[in-house]
Amino acid sequence: MSKFYKLQITDLRKETADSVSVAFDLPYELYNEFNYKAGQYLTVKFTIGGEEVRRSYSLCSSPVMEEPLRIGVKKVKGGLVSNHINDSLKVGDTVEVMVPEGRFTADIKEGNYKTYYLFSAGSGITPILSILRTVLFREPRSYVHMIYGNSNQESIMFQNELEQLQEQYFDRFVLVHSLSRPKSKWSDLWKSSKDKPYLKGRIDKKTVSRFIGEYPPYAQNAEYYICGPGTMIQNTKEALKDMDVPGERIFTESFGGQTEGADQDAWENATLIAHLDGEKIEVNVPKGKTLLRTLISQGKNPPYSCEGGVCSTCICKVKNGKVHMKNNLALTDEEVADGYALSCQSIPLTESVEIVYE
Amino acid sequence: MSEKNKTMMHELPVEAYTSQEWLDMEMKYIFSKTWQFAGFVEDVAEPGDYISVQAGLNNIFIVKGRDHRLRAFHNMCRHRGTQLLRAVGKAKKAISCPYHDWTYDLEGKLISIPKREEEFPQLKGELHKCGLNLHEASVDIFKGMLFVHPDKDAPSIMEFFGEVEPYLGPHIVEDLVEYSENDNEPFYSREIKANWKIVVENYIDHYHLAHLHEGTLNMYDHARAEFGWAGPHYWFYEPLVPDYAKDVKNAAPYPLIDSVPEDKIGAYVPWLFPNIGITEGESSWNSFHVIPLAPDRTLVNIRTKVMNVSEREFTRQYTKSSMHKLWSHYGNKGKYEGDPETDPMASGDFMAEDVYACEQQQKSLYSPKFQVGAQAQRGEYAISKFQSVIKEWIEKYKDQ
Ligand SMILES: Cc1cc2nc3c(=O)[nH]c(=O)nc-3n(C[C@H](O)[C@H](O)[C@H](O)COP(=O)(O)OP(=O)(O)OC[C@H]3O[C@@H](n4cnc5c(N)ncnc54)[C@H](O)[C@@H]3O)c2cc1C
Ligand code: FES
Ligand code: FES
Ligand SMILES: [Fe+2]
Repeated sequence: MSKFYKLQITDLRKETADSVSVAFDLPYELYNEFNYKAGQYLTVKFTIGGEEVRRSYSLCSSPVMEEPLRIGVKKVKGGLVSNHINDSLKVGDTVEVMVPEGRFTADIKEGNYKTYYLFSAGSGITPILSILRTVLFREPRSYVHMIYGNSNQESIMFQNELEQLQEQYFDRFVLVHSLSRPKSKWSDLWKSSKDKPYLKGRIDKKTVSRFIGEYPPYAQNAEYYICGPGTMIQNTKEALKDMDVPGERIFTESFGGQTEGADQDAWENATLIAHLDGEKIEVNVPKGKTLLRTLISQGKNPPYSCEGGVCSTCICKVKNGKVHMKNNLALTDEEVADGYALSCQSIPLTESVEIVYE
Repeated sequence: MSEKNKTMMHELPVEAYTSQEWLDMEMKYIFSKTWQFAGFVEDVAEPGDYISVQAGLNNIFIVKGRDHRLRAFHNMCRHRGTQLLRAVGKAKKAISCPYHDWTYDLEGKLISIPKREEEFPQLKGELHKCGLNLHEASVDIFKGMLFVHPDKDAPSIMEFFGEVEPYLGPHIVEDLVEYSENDNEPFYSREIKANWKIVVENYIDHYHLAHLHEGTLNMYDHARAEFGWAGPHYWFYEPLVPDYAKDVKNAAPYPLIDSVPEDKIGAYVPWLFPNIGITEGESSWNSFHVIPLAPDRTLVNIRTKVMNVSEREFTRQYTKSSMHKLWSHYGNKGKYEGDPETDPMASGDFMAEDVYACEQQQKSLYSPKFQVGAQAQRGEYAISKFQSVIKEWIEKYKDQ
């Protein structure tokens, strides 16, 4: 099921002070398995400090160009894997990688005549860059209108690449940068016309509606793709909804990271009964561990990949007891009401919890 | 019933130009199955603006949403069919039917029905899930023009026009502004007493240019014309005659369109299937919309665009041009001597000449002696090709 392949790193590029992009060599016999759509992600596996961890990283390469698989990883403060990738990996290392997955994809076809609105912030650029390049290359008649939010000029990932695309596709590609804490240098007093203008502030409702007013869709089949951290997705989506953009035209990808609402206290030392692959497992849940982590530390093999509450690979059904999900970006309210839970995010709220992996 | 006239024009029988039956078929299988011209993008400029247009058998309205995206719906209440919106205007948050006040939002969803509980107990749950939302249509933009298609999942507009696009003029239409004597009226509008296809065939007839228009369109070099077909569409280009090209800056009636590079100046005159021509010239850009009214009556609306320059600059060019010596032997001389006010053939106006020729031809279609004598193999090739596209289209949809 969650099969990992060993891929070798062929290139490792520093993109900004706190991010790298990593390219993998794909042996010929894996071409089919690793076939992907723009917007999908890879899941990588490391053993750090004796513990197996998995994280998902979106592909920033394009499936229609002759180029290696590439991911872009930005350091998260105190983050286990993102720092490991940035600080410890070298060209020639092998990494365990799962085949590409994900539903944040566009149906990109040569004959399309569309306007794509792309909203991204920070490391959220990765799947957006893949969609962007694929559309520009594959759909010669489509337009792309994009906002990219960052804290300042120096934290913009893939800056050269984006500039090149702006030059090459100036008649169909609009890119506006939005900087929340732009650096102003004394040399700004002599600002040359060459300096790229940017919007100041975070991507919020006002920015979104002004941007669309200024760059209305030309091709009327418009779609809206959003990827970024924390509240950026929600804000952008609400702004679009406020403007009556139909929900079925909006696509989002969350990287996880934010926990919603107040943290709940877990029931200490609760009993977990889990039905997994025909086996009935009974264990105590140690303090601070999720149901998924509890099973992994028992040497079990529950399904999972992002461990961020995003992909829903780790879904289970709660038969008895109650759980709290620290983060849920995958399940609908109806699914939760039906008793489904993301085990990678669940902590027990009752003395005993029984779950089934279906 | 009288014997049907089976005499052929080229590919089509003469009755295709005279009978209601044929017009009904064309309305159903051509005008209701193709992207139809609906105006210029600036006709629906701001969120909330709408226009309604007749596209074949369908009345369709286009409204701009707050997200600046256009939506198109069939302009027909789902209750008992009453037309919802009149020609143009600005919608508020909702659209109400004048008859019984059924109300829809700007996404076409039914949101309220007067006396719903008492009168329509069968409509339970959320109204917009009762299957009574407005029928959706498609709308898109091509070359600064709005087009509608009656189907919600119409083939992409670029699938329809893509092939002919490379043959169109380099004009950037969005940068031009409309020119008209009276606000909100087309530059030219006239009912012609001829079948709509007679008008189209006249537009794509290369053979007539040097003859019917010998004194009116002689500033274009017909001998060097290039033309052909791309998909169901016709394309045509001819350069200016050397005398005109030499001093076009001073002689052109309006300021030259600056998006056209010097070596590309000329007349681009494509016909987009089925009923919209464009005339992309050196100093003006025109849409030529042909609307069938009856088998023997056709409305032609021409809208024209020019460079976006100041009134002063415009007048200066106009004055310069009207005094230019070129026009003493080009562009405005009637074919025959006579009173230019009453005789189209003496008017020195190529449109009047074309209208005259179309109406005279239509009259003869009813004569028992009517027959097409012969066809110019190059100069009239487009005419039989157009007829075969009509035939193809009807055959394609007739049996579906
Ligand atoms: C589908 C998917 C695609 C992704 N694509 C990318 C990508 O292309 N590039 C990329 O850099 N990351 C991407 N991520 C995020 C990535 O998977 C990790 O979550 C991230 O690198 C942090 O992992 P960590 O081990 O360094 O931090 P952890 O040790 O897991 O967490 C450390 C702390 O940081 C917080 N945190 C965790 N994730 C984030 C986050 N994304 N933003 C802010 N705070 C966070 C945690 O709450 C915790 O407090 C993606 C995530 C998903 C689910
Ligand atoms: S592993 Fe992705 S949601 Fe739990
Ligand atoms: S016909 Fe429209 S409300 Fe009755
Ligand atoms: Fe003519």
